[in-house]
Amino acid sequence: MSATMACNPDLSDHSVLGDARLTRVSRTAYVIGWIALLVGCFEAWKQPDAHGFAMIWLQNSIFILTLALGAFFFTLIQHITAAGWGVAVRRVAEAQAANLQWLWVLFLVPMFWLVATNHSWEGRGHGLALVWPWADLSHLTAESPAEGAVVSAKSAYLNPTFFLIRATIYFVFWGLASRWFLQASRAQDQTGDPAISKRMRFMAAPALILFALTSTFAAFDWIMSLSPAWFSTMFGIYFFAGLCASGFSAIAIACLRLQSLGYLRGVINSEHYQDLGKMIWAFGIVFWAYIAFSQYMLIWYGNLPEETVWFIARQVGDWSMVSVALILGHFAIPFLFFVSRWTKRWRTTLLVGALWMIAFAWIDIYWLVMPVVPHDVATFTTYDQLAHAYQATSTGLSNPVNYLICAGFLGLFIGSATGRLARGAVLCRRDPRLEESLRFENI
Amino acid sequence: MTHPNSPRGTQGVAPAATYGIMAEFETPAQIMEAAKKVHAAGYRFWDCHTPFAVHGLDKAMGIKRTILPFLVLGAGATGATLGFTLQAFTNATGTSIWALVWVTGYPFLVSGKPLMSVPAWVPVIFELTILLSALSAAGLMLLLNGLPRLSHPLLANNRFRRATDDRFFIVIEARDPKFLRSKTEAFLKSLNAKSIEVVEDR
Repeated sequence: MSATMACNPDLSDHSVLGDARLTRVSRTAYVIGWIALLVGCFEAWKQPDAHGFAMIWLQNSIFILTLALGAFFFTLIQHITAAGWGVAVRRVAEAQAANLQWLWVLFLVPMFWLVATNHSWEGRGHGLALVWPWADLSHLTAESPAEGAVVSAKSAYLNPTFFLIRATIYFVFWGLASRWFLQASRAQDQTGDPAISKRMRFMAAPALILFALTSTFAAFDWIMSLSPAWFSTMFGIYFFAGLCASGFSAIAIACLRLQSLGYLRGVINSEHYQDLGKMIWAFGIVFWAYIAFSQYMLIWYGNLPEETVWFIARQVGDWSMVSVALILGHFAIPFLFFVSRWTKRWRTTLLVGALWMIAFAWIDIYWLVMPVVPHDVATFTTYDQLAHAYQATSTGLSNPVNYLICAGFLGLFIGSATGRLARGAVLCRRDPRLEESLRFENI
Repeated sequence: MTHPNSPRGTQGVAPAATYGIMAEFETPAQIMEAAKKVHAAGYRFWDCHTPFAVHGLDKAMGIKRTILPFLVLGAGATGATLGFTLQAFTNATGTSIWALVWVTGYPFLVSGKPLMSVPAWVPVIFELTILLSALSAAGLMLLLNGLPRLSHPLLANNRFRRATDDRFFIVIEARDPKFLRSKTEAFLKSLNAKSIEVVEDR
């Protein structure tokens, strides 16, 4: 209803249609990504630790997955709430989420380890190479009979066949759904048909339910089952809060980059950035801390050995530093940083905050995936004894392979998403709510 | 100019004081333009009344951002401090009042945890933070707006009723240092108002 507008949105082809500027970014990202990946694999080859490499691969695959899932969730809530403000940034999220179509390829490596150790490579000293310990019950039982007994009771769920079936279901759903939402939105670019908006809103409801189920069980399957005797019903929602932090931050960064390339001039303004910042703050920082603390407090208060071991593994040696770094870096510091209005509206501070959140989202996944619960944990009588025995535990964060593989995956991720944007519009240019989004103002 | 409906407009009663002058506009665009000019003219005690939120009007009026967020931040910090000290005092420590009377809390061991078990206190700290923030946000918002109040001179004006329907009003109050009835009236006329009316303070 505003009669005056702060800026004039540029809706010309140069501003909203992907072209050579984006193709160039995409190609650069692919080249850097492949080089980093190859160097990373070469570095890993020099280190004889096949298991460590599989874990690094898995951790980075999950991290990259959170970027796409966060964007997918963003798209879905835009549709289900019939949000007007987000139309200006929605295509960026859709293109980012559409990477879910090929991210399953990254998971083939840890899955291959799983299949290989259980079938063709049986009896080849495979214990070292296992990614998910429950896959080899006999080995697990030999190392820790108590843990083996607990895990064998879960074998109806935690067995390779069902595990692979579930993984297939998750990726089939994510791939098809993210593809459908991108294509429907693109079809609207051509026709401007409001019925497409209604159809997307209608589909968003079942998609959100399935998203909640698949992301929860994916977190159970791929991260929580790394410590198969341990369990937390809150784990799925913790993973969800984390993927909001990285996914929404990536959307903000992508929008900033698009504008610096000369796209979407005046289309995305500080009002939209403030709302993106709010989403990062609410979901990725506050809600994440709320869930993380709730999970911690229940286990701390209950004080049951089979539950506390998971946190103990994260409080020995260098891991205690990472735990404290997460509290400060994923919650306290960004909480205070993004609580202000102007840090979300000013591009430089938003970029710094979003990059910071992505870095700590990566550390969060690392903290979830990498620590190993000691098998002899039950033999200690006090925490101090255990902490003393494991005080030299290293986090492995100094291993350059982590960062090379991460850079490699990021390169492929950015290359693919940018290439997708280069082939079409970078804006839902004929969405019926576009006008509302362009005129949006925070009260 | 006496309002036709005014009960005090009858003979023998002193005329009511002037509350201000009201100008009526028909569209958001008109009031937006007018508000910019009123602000530029240097008036301080004036306001816009619209049937719905007109985005950008605050800026056109030159209204400063509210201090409410900082007050709420303070209230939240107070709640957090209160929650912590309350539990620290009752669960874990005692204190002496002017070094004379020793007041003790109720130290109670739960499942062998230390008396000073901060994780267990976080829910109470959190809830008190939210409680004080929410209450102060709502309460201070009302106070800063000068609410609650039982009546307002504008509400007795018949023409003003359309502020909840389809008309947009600018009211310059008589207490404004720059207010001069003839001048202000002429100024508001120059803004292309649909009508100008003096509002009495009753």
